[in-house]
Amino acid sequence: MNLLSYFRIWLACARYSIVRTMMFRFDFVMWSLVEFGWMAVNLLLIAVIYRHTQDIAGWTKYQMLLLVGTSMLVQRFIMGFFWSNLFEMARNIRSGHFDFFLSQPGNPLFMVSTRKLDLDGIANAFVAMAVVAYAVRELGLTPSLVDLSLYALMVFCGILINYGALLMIVSLTFWLGAAQGIEGSYFTLMEFSRLPRETFRGAANVIFVWILPAVIVSNTPARALLHGFEPVNALWLVAATAVWLGLGVSVFNRGLRRYASASS
Amino acid sequence: MSALAKYRHAFLLGLQSNIVYRWNFAIRALFSLFHLAFVFILWGAAYKGQTEIGGFNLDQTLTYFVLLLVMQFFIGAFNEDYQISEEIRNGLINQFLLKPINYYAYRFSIFVAARAVSGFLALVPILCALPLLKDHLVLPHDGWRIALGLPAMAMAAMIQFTIAYCFGLLSFWFLEIQSFIILSLAVETVLGGQMFPLDLMPPWFFHLSQWLPYYYQMYFPTAIFTGRLDMASALSGLALQAFWVVALLAIGHLLWTRGLRRHTAVGG
Repeated sequence: MNLLSYFRIWLACARYSIVRTMMFRFDFVMWSLVEFGWMAVNLLLIAVIYRHTQDIAGWTKYQMLLLVGTSMLVQRFIMGFFWSNLFEMARNIRSGHFDFFLSQPGNPLFMVSTRKLDLDGIANAFVAMAVVAYAVRELGLTPSLVDLSLYALMVFCGILINYGALLMIVSLTFWLGAAQGIEGSYFTLMEFSRLPRETFRGAANVIFVWILPAVIVSNTPARALLHGFEPVNALWLVAATAVWLGLGVSVFNRGLRRYASASS
Repeated sequence: MSALAKYRHAFLLGLQSNIVYRWNFAIRALFSLFHLAFVFILWGAAYKGQTEIGGFNLDQTLTYFVLLLVMQFFIGAFNEDYQISEEIRNGLINQFLLKPINYYAYRFSIFVAARAVSGFLALVPILCALPLLKDHLVLPHDGWRIALGLPAMAMAAMIQFTIAYCFGLLSFWFLEIQSFIILSLAVETVLGGQMFPLDLMPPWFFHLSQWLPYYYQMYFPTAIFTGRLDMASALSGLALQAFWVVALLAIGHLLWTRGLRRHTAVGG
């Protein structure tokens, strides 16, 4: 199959997801509220802490808001495009329903990753964008079109890194099978993306900044808007994207070789 | 069979079935240590350049979060709402309608068993992390805090479970209740003091929160143990907490009787 065919499949899946969402409108509203509620919880944390302090590791309230908004933006896109698909992949591996994807005439990873769109996640990505825009305005920043394009590219890298990490975690189901809830570890890890890099010291710095991709996915784009484009950080982000995407795909492919379906 | 013996058996069964999931609880507890790391990093940075926030020093605030974590595993409702919802949707609830057993008491016995297992399992990673934590733990030694904190903890468990029970019963009316549960969890996370100690909120908000049941879920017992509440506030809080236990039990009972009128048991 060529790229155009894959694009057509994706479009068909997107259309199906939209029709399905429109059939269950109440559900869509509820899940949008759920995501919005959790975003509000995180913003409230910032508001409460900054009632009692001027800065966190040199980051002022609105700088922090920009960082948290960026972290939310990456996560909302992940929730919108990939979370349900990968979450269901783990369930399907356990139940044997994963066979369905293998029998389709396309790349299994593509088929698994793009079957559903969650419109609530995508809708809340606009809320996250509004948070970022509000922070930019309050900080008096005037980013040029180039700055915004670079920011968007870095957020895209962040999405790919998150996708790679999530895919790797979920693919462990090929080996672990019964270990339910392993997907939740992704959220634990991503909690750290709401913190400025400067807050990490010692072992935490090594683990969350250098080894795991939690901190750079949000800090690099946010810093680019705040302090201008920093080539070293951007290169680091691109390298991390290649590494984590590569890791995710290779663990998935190795897991695929182990997959032996389940008895019916 | 005496009433107590029935629920003792339910408790023992709950104990056995939850021990099967010991690794799930242990892994969950391990991940919660990462959350604790997040809390330590964030609040550590917020305290830079000042010794107190809201009248409490860094170690007092960190102790609050460590104890809160332990509380969650001992008295928090995990997926009881979902289990009850599944029993209603799958018709498994029908068997309880024919037996001389109170569904609430049966489910509560299993909840107590589950929390006993998850609570003690959660202590393992926390004890392992103790060498790193112990320098930051500062607990007041007043005897009254234990005397008032333990009943507060018991009533908090009842509030936690009864709210989950009520949400589970919504399955009599709605096909899918997961979104209700997660939305309510977001509210509980804030108003229960799990995101930040409630006393750091503006005073009007803190006073308002004291009238809501969420305050008595996690914040209240944790605040008694960690010295964030004085004896007078603890005593008046216990009275309000008891009110919420009774009110929620009444709501649960109402939902159960109303829900059963809508329920259709099919098959044998």
